[in-house]
Amino acid sequence: MTTETRPEYSSVGKRETRIEGAGKVTGGAIYAADVQVPDMLHCKLVHSPHAHARIVSIDATKALAIDGVERVIVAEDFGQAVKDGSNPAIDASNRGAALLAHKQAVFTGEPVAAVLAETPSAAEEGVEAVEVTYEVLPHVLDLEAAMEDGSPLARPPVSDIDHSEEEAHVTLDVDTEEAEGKPTNVASHVSFTRGDIEAGFAESDVIVERTWRSASMHQGYIEPHATVADFKPATGELTVWAATQGQFMVRDTIMRTLKWPETKLRVIGCELGGGFGGKMTLNSPLVAALSVIAGRPVKLVLTRAEDITAAAPAPRAMINLKTGMKKDGSLTAIEASVVYGAGAYPGAPAAVGALLGTSFYKWPNLKADGYEVLTNHVSVGAIRAPGTHNAMHAVEQNIDEMARQLDLDAGAVRLQNVSQTGDPMASGQEFTKIGLDETVTQAIEHPLWKNREAAKAESTDTKMVGVGLAIGGWLGGLQPAAAEVMLNNDGTVNAVTGVNDITGTNTSFAQILAEELNISLDQINITTGDTKTAPFAGMSAGSKTLFTVGRALREAAIDLREQMFEVAADRLEANENDLELKDNAVSVKGSPDQSLGMDRLASMTTGFGALYKPLVGSGSIAARIQAPGFTAQLVKVEVDTDTGNVELKDFAIVQDVGFAINPLSVEGQMEGGAVQGMGIGLWEEYIYDDDGKLRNAGLLDYRMPTAADVPDIESLIVEVPSEDGPYGARGVGEPSITAGGAAIANAIADAIGARVSEIPATPERVLRALGTVGDGAEAAGS
Amino acid sequence: MAKQIFTLNVNGRDHEVYTEPNQSLLEVVRDELRLTGAKEGCGTGDCGACTVLVDGRIVTSCLVLAPDAAGREITTIEGLADGEKLHPMQQAFIDHGSVQCGFCIPGMILSSVALLEENPAPTRDEIRRGIAGNLCRCTGYRKIVEAIESVAGS
Ligand code: FES
Ligand code: FES
Repeated sequence: MTTETRPEYSSVGKRETRIEGAGKVTGGAIYAADVQVPDMLHCKLVHSPHAHARIVSIDATKALAIDGVERVIVAEDFGQAVKDGSNPAIDASNRGAALLAHKQAVFTGEPVAAVLAETPSAAEEGVEAVEVTYEVLPHVLDLEAAMEDGSPLARPPVSDIDHSEEEAHVTLDVDTEEAEGKPTNVASHVSFTRGDIEAGFAESDVIVERTWRSASMHQGYIEPHATVADFKPATGELTVWAATQGQFMVRDTIMRTLKWPETKLRVIGCELGGGFGGKMTLNSPLVAALSVIAGRPVKLVLTRAEDITAAAPAPRAMINLKTGMKKDGSLTAIEASVVYGAGAYPGAPAAVGALLGTSFYKWPNLKADGYEVLTNHVSVGAIRAPGTHNAMHAVEQNIDEMARQLDLDAGAVRLQNVSQTGDPMASGQEFTKIGLDETVTQAIEHPLWKNREAAKAESTDTKMVGVGLAIGGWLGGLQPAAAEVMLNNDGTVNAVTGVNDITGTNTSFAQILAEELNISLDQINITTGDTKTAPFAGMSAGSKTLFTVGRALREAAIDLREQMFEVAADRLEANENDLELKDNAVSVKGSPDQSLGMDRLASMTTGFGALYKPLVGSGSIAARIQAPGFTAQLVKVEVDTDTGNVELKDFAIVQDVGFAINPLSVEGQMEGGAVQGMGIGLWEEYIYDDDGKLRNAGLLDYRMPTAADVPDIESLIVEVPSEDGPYGARGVGEPSITAGGAAIANAIADAIGARVSEIPATPERVLRALGTVGDGAEAAGS
Repeated sequence: MAKQIFTLNVNGRDHEVYTEPNQSLLEVVRDELRLTGAKEGCGTGDCGACTVLVDGRIVTSCLVLAPDAAGREITTIEGLADGEKLHPMQQAFIDHGSVQCGFCIPGMILSSVALLEENPAPTRDEIRRGIAGNLCRCTGYRKIVEAIESVAGS
């Protein structure tokens, strides 16, 4: 749907298949684990078997006796890798600096030693032979218990909270107050208020107050974390091949951790086998340090079990939510306590959750508190729209339930109350131009929503059908970016960026160049440079790759065009304003015989004795205006009331993408995120035992959606142009994951007349909601 | 473990391999033959990223001991195209926008090829069930199903 008339474009806005697609269908694309360097050592990690324990001693004698085992490295050794001899791992209180656990392990699976060996199997044997003596310490796993006074501390007090991953995704305009005074497990707390919530609740015709939970989950990338680092002692050069969404972030983290000069550090972001927020810097500083210590290349590829257990999953959340509504559907007040489990190192998105959870609707009165709580679980990282799906699950169930109790149409109620351009968020900051209204409108006009009564009528005694709706969104990340575009001698164009292409962004980049230079896609090559060869670009994260780097490239193309015009104007003795770029030539408008081919132009800027300077367009942008992207998702479910099993029958995702530069890849991202939302809604969950050991550390038990589990998804693109994105584009990647879990929960409630209070909605939780197991305490409206 | 010599026929060529007999087919194909198209996503048979064809049937190569594949015809993703000409399934995956990060794709394409060998005209449901052993986290599957459908229908 085009909601505003827009200019005619020749290239952007068209469905294009990937320009470099062949590499990925023939096995030619090189991912980090594919990299082999001569003389390379293989690294395997020794993990703590305890959720919280003091490391009394680490004895590597037996491991070192194994044929092929070269070194066993522990935290105390890292001083050898740091330029000034300092050791970041000593008493580290953020995960980034804790290359290996020092003195104590704070979650099950935390790496405590690294074994380097000539072969992976020797390294594995070495791991078995390292003898670590632990003194088990009291652990805390439960979020509520962890917040109580007198709870055991999950870890020593935190001195230096690292929010870099969260900030990689969203640019937040709030201050987080960090815990001070008496040590507690609450690592940070943020608070927003508006109006008078008591007065708001007093004028409500209905108030729903519930506690909602959502599970910790893996980002689900199929490629486990992998890093290769190659330190050359003779030259002091350090090269790192990383599976990362942000090679410059890896570079900067290694630089800060090891105090390594960036002139001697090259980070190569390989093809990435999925990240979804989970692939930032995790093991890169560790592997870099190991290579420096060993004086040889080192490769570390996590096993799937290690990746699930000890990488950086998305946090669980516990949200107490009280909301009020009047009979006419208008909202009165919201009071939210949003608690994220950070695991054992801080970095959970408390501020995001509290802010986004209370900003998408016009709440006249609000009080929102976000807490980040430490427990002895693996520390969390980002995911698509970190924290948002947890918050939307809570808010959207409350909205739905209020509408149900007042006998109002839950779709109309949303449309009546959603935030509009210029409305304040909970922080007071005003929304830039947004298309939430248009998005909800499309959703509630969709047949899946319109025909929901007919769908419900398909129900039988034991198969109850329901339709659910939920909204979600993401504010969008901001980060400066630069790019370069060069005219080749044959008149084609090469461009260099520093951002990893995961989903097809290079194709969209080429479309931008084709648009601005009026040439075809096959005349364009996009190269992803490394940190030594590419101009700076931020991460492929926060839904901002195209939003920021695309803008830089567009500026670079315009710069190149202007330079071409300058040369052509001089040669053709014409005014630059009278020139046009068409059919691979710069010509004087209206007199096509006065023209200079792009190849001719290029040779005049490069040949021996050529008179003009080489044509290199550069673009550099600062991104300051966010472009929030919203989604509304619809799902039809069938609930088996005997087994509690939920089957997904139909799914539609509506999303405002501002402008779809390549609708084919936009749909792909929307559908991928939507299916992740289905996983959140029905299947994906970290399950721990009472000792803090993960019980489902494999892909059989940690169940991600397969092709057979999910229905065809209908993608509906809304285009409300953003103020600052290229051609009006908004970030696409993140909104898509934010609403599926909530929509499924609402569909289940529609089907069975009772709400699951926790997602994923496993059969047991559904039966509990139905009252057939447990105490039936989760019936609707309780 | 004492190393062994054995011969693997991969993509129509015999390769003499000298390796420990407890190495998986995936490890040998990737690390010894340097055919890195097959990926390791789990090592436990649960993701399908390591899928290769052995005598035309799909196999999760992380679960097969390399010596057990001796004497059979192994096809990896590198062996699917005919020179410069992509296999129709490879081309269909490009044309339908079925590829995002690409990590699942070699296994997914080989599973799809084998699926159509067995059932040349599958329904959409049969396609979905046929590739249920191959996890993809990026695409949501629809565009993959459509690619397979287009090859089946052609
Ligand atoms: S790597 Fe073999 S099935 Fe996952
Ligand atoms: S394309 Fe990324 S896992 Fe399938």
